[in-house]
Amino acid sequence: MNSDRMEQSNRNEAQNGPRRRRVCSGPLCHALPGGARLNASTRREFFGQAGLSVGALGLAALLGRDAAAAPDDRSVNPMAPRRGHYAPKAKAVIYLFMAGGPSQLELFDEKPKLRELSGQPPPPSFLEGKRFAFLKGDETLLGPYQKFARYGKSGATLSDLLPFHRDIVDDICFIKSMHTDVFNHGPAKMFMQTGSPQPGRPSMGSWVTYGIGSVADNLPGFVVRQSGPRGPRAGSALWSSGFLPTTYQGVPFRGQGDGILNLNSPAGFDRAAQRAFTDAVERMNQMRFDAVGDPEIQTRIAAYEMAFRMQASAPELMDIGSESKETLEMYGAEPGKASFANNALLARRLIERGVRFVQLYHTSWDQHGGSESLEQELPLRCREVDRGSAALVKDLKQRGLLDETLVIWGGEFGRTPMGERRNPTGRDHHVDSYTMWLAGGGIRPGMTLGETDELGLSITQDPVHVHDLQATILHLLGLNHERLVFRFQGRDFRLTDVHGKVVQPILM
Amino acid sequence: MSGDNPLSKSAPARSRSRETSRPTDNRPIPRRKESAVRRAPFAQLIRISTFVILSSFVLCPSSFADDTVSFNRDIRPILSDNCFYCHGPDPKHREADLRLDTLKGVTEDRDGSVAVVPGDPDASQLVQRIMDEDADFRMPPPETEKHLTSEQIDLLRRWIAAGAEYEQHWSFVSVQRPALPSVRDAALTRNAIDYFVLAKLDKRNISPSPEADRVTLIRRLSLDLLGLPPTPDEVDAFVGDTRPDAYERLVERLLADPHFGQRWGRHWLDQARYADSNGYAPDGERTMWPYRDWVIRAINRDLPFDQFTIEQLAGDLLPNPTLEQLVATGFHRNTLINTEGGTKADQFRVEQAKDRVDTTGTVWLALTVGCANCHTHKFDPIEQKEYYELYAFFDSTQDQNSTTPTVSVPTAAQQTQLEQLNRRIAELNKQLAEPDPQRPQRRAEWERKLMETAEPKDLAAIVAKPFDKRSKEEQAKLDQAFERADPLRGPLQVELESLDSKRKDLAKAIPTAMVMRELATPRDTRIHIRGDFLRPGDAVQPNVPAALPSLIEVALRSDATSAVPSSIKRATRLDFANWLVRPNNPLTARVYVNRVWMRLFGRGIVETENDFGMQGSPPAHPELLDWLAAEFMHTGWSTKKLIESIVTSATYRQSSTARKELARIDARNDLLARQNRIRVEAEIVRDVGLAASGLLTDKLGGPSVFPPQPDGVYAFTQVQKSWRTSAGEDRYRRGMYTFLYRSAPHPMLTTFDVPSLNQTCTRRDRSNTPLQSLTMANDEAMFEMTQALARRVLSRTGPLTRPIPSDLPSSQDTESKQTDGSMEPSYSDDDTPHLVHMFRLCLAREPIEAERTFLLDYLNNQRQHFSAQPDAAKSIAVGDWPADVSPADAAAWTATARVLLNLDEFITRE
Repeated sequence: MNSDRMEQSNRNEAQNGPRRRRVCSGPLCHALPGGARLNASTRREFFGQAGLSVGALGLAALLGRDAAAAPDDRSVNPMAPRRGHYAPKAKAVIYLFMAGGPSQLELFDEKPKLRELSGQPPPPSFLEGKRFAFLKGDETLLGPYQKFARYGKSGATLSDLLPFHRDIVDDICFIKSMHTDVFNHGPAKMFMQTGSPQPGRPSMGSWVTYGIGSVADNLPGFVVRQSGPRGPRAGSALWSSGFLPTTYQGVPFRGQGDGILNLNSPAGFDRAAQRAFTDAVERMNQMRFDAVGDPEIQTRIAAYEMAFRMQASAPELMDIGSESKETLEMYGAEPGKASFANNALLARRLIERGVRFVQLYHTSWDQHGGSESLEQELPLRCREVDRGSAALVKDLKQRGLLDETLVIWGGEFGRTPMGERRNPTGRDHHVDSYTMWLAGGGIRPGMTLGETDELGLSITQDPVHVHDLQATILHLLGLNHERLVFRFQGRDFRLTDVHGKVVQPILM
Repeated sequence: MSGDNPLSKSAPARSRSRETSRPTDNRPIPRRKESAVRRAPFAQLIRISTFVILSSFVLCPSSFADDTVSFNRDIRPILSDNCFYCHGPDPKHREADLRLDTLKGVTEDRDGSVAVVPGDPDASQLVQRIMDEDADFRMPPPETEKHLTSEQIDLLRRWIAAGAEYEQHWSFVSVQRPALPSVRDAALTRNAIDYFVLAKLDKRNISPSPEADRVTLIRRLSLDLLGLPPTPDEVDAFVGDTRPDAYERLVERLLADPHFGQRWGRHWLDQARYADSNGYAPDGERTMWPYRDWVIRAINRDLPFDQFTIEQLAGDLLPNPTLEQLVATGFHRNTLINTEGGTKADQFRVEQAKDRVDTTGTVWLALTVGCANCHTHKFDPIEQKEYYELYAFFDSTQDQNSTTPTVSVPTAAQQTQLEQLNRRIAELNKQLAEPDPQRPQRRAEWERKLMETAEPKDLAAIVAKPFDKRSKEEQAKLDQAFERADPLRGPLQVELESLDSKRKDLAKAIPTAMVMRELATPRDTRIHIRGDFLRPGDAVQPNVPAALPSLIEVALRSDATSAVPSSIKRATRLDFANWLVRPNNPLTARVYVNRVWMRLFGRGIVETENDFGMQGSPPAHPELLDWLAAEFMHTGWSTKKLIESIVTSATYRQSSTARKELARIDARNDLLARQNRIRVEAEIVRDVGLAASGLLTDKLGGPSVFPPQPDGVYAFTQVQKSWRTSAGEDRYRRGMYTFLYRSAPHPMLTTFDVPSLNQTCTRRDRSNTPLQSLTMANDEAMFEMTQALARRVLSRTGPLTRPIPSDLPSSQDTESKQTDGSMEPSYSDDDTPHLVHMFRLCLAREPIEAERTFLLDYLNNQRQHFSAQPDAAKSIAVGDWPADVSPADAAAWTATARVLLNLDEFITRE
């Protein structure tokens, strides 16, 4: 039924463009009711209605790329590519998540006034009603540590910490007016990725693959990679499918080996033995299907076939040694090493193979001061990601992939203009204004949206809330965030809760 | 659905033209007055009516509906889906001040126009508006993308014509035991359940499926009740049991098996959102397994569900609560705790309390009360104020985003040890406290010796000093030394000190369990405006929603019956828990029996088992649901009796084989003309592997364990967890004992749909993915089971001569035997019995001929393959194999075992 509704909206919106419906006045109400009753475990229905002899069709649909014609293709192959609500600009997303909250005041948002007033208390009017994680309230302003200059035709501001970004400023769009709701890392990351600060909701990548499936026929549709000294706070809740079927959860590709857990056959089983094994399982399953007629058996046969193919495709994918010297050089990637640069290159390889949503995390952007200093640690983080991030945009552009690939760069929040009293002084979490950038996939290149006040405390122009960003990402993929809903415990849930509006000015 | 309906087909086209001319959001509100004077021309009305009649003629034969229109069955779903969002319970969101969810609202005279005139559809505004030609005026408005089908319009008209009777929503009506319906052939029934199912099948002229064969039945029962497959011996015993009540005896045996509590306890733990860590970013370990073990024990001793409820929600408020009752309150301590730096305890305390409200609403009432956190519920009769009245029950506990309060929960051995220690320590203390007139004398003697020998030096030095020159510490040291050195009492003193230190060590080793404790003075609970706890609104008192039976009588408690502090004058969690399980509560029993049914059939009688509100689906067999609920309460809320009555029904015992002739009529098997095939849950996938391979450790309870898991799981968590891979028997415990980290559950469990563990889960998904295939085929733990299964079969002692029946039922394609003659398979004499035994260990049944032939071929091919690759064979044939088994043989059998463990049927309850 959900797909009926999607088709319906699809028809209307193709003709009229996206429309707004009457919005609810309450903050936690939801999309209009009447969605699918139960969405999981109902594969039987399709087969049931079509009779019992469609096993072959199920297999074909699962393996083929053009299953969109099936009446409810999600029940045959949950990952089959599907049309969204309207024509997409972007076909894939690469999300470079800078976990910990990079300082916009040291990287993108130049504040001469902050430098000038460094060491003085902020005007009280600036602080009214604000809550912080660690600040006590008597901290003084902290001038930026870095020098800034303008680059490119667009004249974008960058600090000296991001030299490689100078090459891409005309390809990307800065949003300097991001704001979020929560100021602790775990909840804020979940908010960014799932639209809710509490664990249990589906991640953006899950929503996207639920909405439009994936064209990767021998890789998962939603892949997660991580670099940096530790995993992102909140862990699997960030790429969880929440209440969506687990088919849609992000699959973490591990740093070492072949990336996917249990990909390798046990020692002693070579490719031929594995083929014989897969054939035998398939044959035996087919006999059972002949006896009991449960279409679920056909799905399982197809799953074994896909697993067999993943065993070959994943190692090939992970082997970045096959890339040209120039490409490796551009990213600063070194085969066999765990790094953000390698992951960025891998991200391109993933989307080339049809993966829909690639989520990278690079951790330890949490420069409170002390051992997590803005002088020592922040430049290290920048060196780790600057080159790879810029190379990804350049590489995608050179290969003609940037137009249909949305690249997102940023953290879960920003950092305060006030110094946090540690030795040396750092910055606390700041939810009221921070900077992110986007590129490709229908985003207007070479522009900056939004402004903050002279101290960088509050937004003065074009605020973009996390839910707005989420709405925009879905929009670029051809999905209407108000219609991409899932019925759970009696309520239709969305990525954007009951909020969010598409950020029109940054669209091409 | 809408494709059959010309009305809705044309709707998008018309709404499109309007869309361009009108702004979006702001449909003018005073439409009511506009339309009151504007009536559809009579002729137009007739035209539409004719059309409606025609189309309903076409549509009606396919509908399940009886001739009479039922408000609950036919009308409420239409109104709820299409109208209540704007014309429902929430006044803030109500359009045109019109509400359609009450008779009063719908019959109100509104400036001469009335939405519904009972008995007169044509005079009813509602009918005019839903049939209005002009899309601008037609309801529901086009931008809602909702369309009434002509069938629905017809139903509404007929309902109004028949008097527009409103019924209370089915789930809010108290449970009455219905009479058994009559059935055509009572011989097809085994108990009351079957009457309800059969009566529906009779109406559709569908016969139920035949009873499944005995092997299928015992495997089904074993998996459903214990989560373990039956052993071949158990299968043989049941198949050979000719007594008429063999099946009932089997059920009785399984219900008494301690594994029952583990199997059904895990279902409950999903709802309790049980895990072994705190959640959020740091996700540190916590000790909750004493609560998990309480659940297992409670289910094994069939603690009546009413008591089960009260102890978990309010065990701490019972009079003189036992340790068990305190541990039971862990149910609501399974909420997350955020220990991240910079967190505000008040924020997370509120989140946890709200989670308790929402979880209670979902688990006991199947109501989405959480929807009223920020605003009055859009569909169900729960006002925002009422949400906070429920919240008030949970707002005054002592925990504040903290592990405390806790209680110590010694194991039986620890308890014994502790009691022994306490007893001996008391004895020693008593002896030491007895009067001792000789003591000064012995002391003087001891000091004199010290002076003489000057040993030990430090003490001698103190004694040498005059009394008033000694420091306090020196004097104490001297006194203490004498206590130990005293020839008479010294040994007692030494023993006392040693026991005391032992007791301290023991205390450290005794696990603690997180429990609920009430504050002596309740918090001032207030409405949170828009759900924001920083914006307190009016104060509220604990209470239950007005749409449900009132709390008043239970609130009149006497202090003798509870441990509620006398300072608390208002209703408490205990009152609330009592209220939940009162017989006049229309929801609790229905919700519970429905979920039990769901576990045994794959789907509930009410499919939306977590939403019994207006937006939920109505029960497929309403009388059966009520019969079960009534019976459940009548038999003392006994879960075991409930399960027994369901699994002994003919309905449950049917074959699950798909029926082609029903594929069109009842594709989803709503009518229950057969059983369903159900893939078992993640933990059970592991358990059947352990059981088949013979590795299973049969041990109940205790701290969670760490079976092998692939490397690299924690590359993605903030804090690197220590996965202390268990050795020995703990390596092979049932899946439910696997340590559960919320931020990174064991990947095998996640792959097979273990829920997120962060919020209550009342029904799991059943996905079917390539990652599951990789896990079954390659996971270290699974492969260990595979090898063990092969070893188990080849190491089997005793006769292998179990005859292979010559008249095995053959499948449709017995011709699958290879006929090209290129390779005549040569089977070793033992292969067939070994294979059949292995097959039975995995699937309980014997292979059909085609399966047997195919697997023997496979075995032989693998033998040849591994004979040619001795290194590969050796890497598979690790461990202890019988001396006469060659590596190639061992590898070939392992490969065959691997096929069996990877079959769909292996992880499916048929």
